[in-house]
Amino acid sequence: MFLRDVYSKALWDARRSLPGWTVAIAAVALMYAAFWPTVNSPQMHDALAAYPDDVLAAFNSGDLGTAQGYLGGAVYGLLVPLLVAVFMIAAGARAVAGDEEAGTLDLVMAHPVSRRGLALRRLGAALTGMAVVAVVLFALMVALRAPFQLETVAVGGFLAMNVQLALFGTMFGTLAFAVGAATGNKSLALGVSAGVAVLAYLANSVFPQVAALEWTRNVSPFHWYLGGEPLTNGVQWGGAAALAGTAVVLAAVGVFRFGRRDIGG
Amino acid sequence: MADLAISTQDLVKTYGRGTRGLAGLDLEVRTNEVYGYLGPNGAGKSTTIRVLLDLIRATSGTVRVLGLDPRAAGVALRRRIGHLAGDFVVDGRQTSRQLLTYLGNLRGGVPAARIAELADRLGLELDRQIRGLSKGNRQKAGVIQAFMHSPELLVLDEPTSGLDPFLQQEFVRLVQEARREGATVFMSSHVMSEVQHTADRVGIIRDGRLVAVESVESLRAHALRSVTLTFDGAFDAADFARVPGFTDLTVAGPTLRGRLAGHTDELVKAASRYTVRDLLCEEPDLEEIFFHYYARPEADHVPA
Repeated sequence: MFLRDVYSKALWDARRSLPGWTVAIAAVALMYAAFWPTVNSPQMHDALAAYPDDVLAAFNSGDLGTAQGYLGGAVYGLLVPLLVAVFMIAAGARAVAGDEEAGTLDLVMAHPVSRRGLALRRLGAALTGMAVVAVVLFALMVALRAPFQLETVAVGGFLAMNVQLALFGTMFGTLAFAVGAATGNKSLALGVSAGVAVLAYLANSVFPQVAALEWTRNVSPFHWYLGGEPLTNGVQWGGAAALAGTAVVLAAVGVFRFGRRDIGG
Repeated sequence: MADLAISTQDLVKTYGRGTRGLAGLDLEVRTNEVYGYLGPNGAGKSTTIRVLLDLIRATSGTVRVLGLDPRAAGVALRRRIGHLAGDFVVDGRQTSRQLLTYLGNLRGGVPAARIAELADRLGLELDRQIRGLSKGNRQKAGVIQAFMHSPELLVLDEPTSGLDPFLQQEFVRLVQEARREGATVFMSSHVMSEVQHTADRVGIIRDGRLVAVESVESLRAHALRSVTLTFDGAFDAADFARVPGFTDLTVAGPTLRGRLAGHTDELVKAASRYTVRDLLCEEPDLEEIFFHYYARPEADHVPA
């Protein structure tokens, strides 16, 4: 059944990498979440108080005194989005450009498959991978809320955080997909997307410490993802819409360009 | 135009930085013929094939494949085409059966029995991982995916490179069968020997342009064949010097050697006056004629 069409075949091809990434991302998230009972002690509070606020802000760790602040900083603020970005950028770049550079896209494109159909199904498979990671992470967090003493975070907060995370990964995956589909160049797709991810991070956490650069936060996908504290306040519709909207525009541009250019080989 | 499976008019393909792939190609492939598309590497053979499949788009000119424009009706068209590239590249982390099932499904399903039958004929183990296969065995999977849905048009790009002689024979049989069933075969190669056993006509492409189209029959007729006649007793060489097209005569004892162009009829009649102990007429070397076209400089050739 996995060999039925381009979409299911792409999922089949990810049968080893997707479980691997899911386990890795969940393991990192849970390991950090498991530290919360230790971090939430008077000694740690004193130690953290000694750090300048700017340094803590640079690591998206403004408020380590609450479970929301800790999870939103150490877990969902840095390591998890970093891993998700790497995972999705790799998946997006592989969807078209990776296959094309390997010389294996020709074979499929010599079959009765349209350019748009192929591109959208491959992108769909990559985004399905993101959904799997977000759902598994959400389920594990909710399941381990009590043992990790994270009850102050509502289930709805975890849901909102993982929805935002999925949209964040979707945007970066779609960016890498779009550059790859438009150019057929996998290295370019990886490079551009990684560059944007770094800039997005800096624009959310470092640049705004200079007053004149505060505006950069508003155009940062990191801010769209984290801003408004989804763990406490639920889904942030503005940020979610910005992430989803950017992904839709990128996907449209990538598919359009892929439909018009020559396939390399 | 229903009798043409492929036609192109003034087809031009220019790659970035002015590199020319095709420079005004006029190609006509008739329905149900086997067309050998010959040319040296870099002449534009693969470029032509990639345009026919809509993998790349021509800069100018028109293309019709099975009556359709590849650009506008690529999906419908590719459903009716089987394609094989000489360097059949595929993800090695799957078995041939998985690959062929998938590719069959992209075409709306190919019966497993058909895949098994072809694999059996070619001697391909379907359940082995492709990465563990030799180049020749990998190419077998490529041959199967091109033929398995019995397409109306086979577009084969240097198909037998990497196949051993046994497989080349089996491949020739597959091509002949497909043709008997009504298919058209367009086969590129840089060597005549790859196509001369199957092709009805050959077109020669050089620098992105078709420079000659000949039926294989007429190539054969124009080919010079070495002929050796051994007689029982004396003979008069002058009788043979008069035979039209028979040149380079040498006599050594009872043996007469020469080179013959065209029909053998006159020569056989001349020889019939004597007692012929042996007659050896070599297979014409079409490659030689083919290279004759290469050697002829193109008058209006402008370096790209």
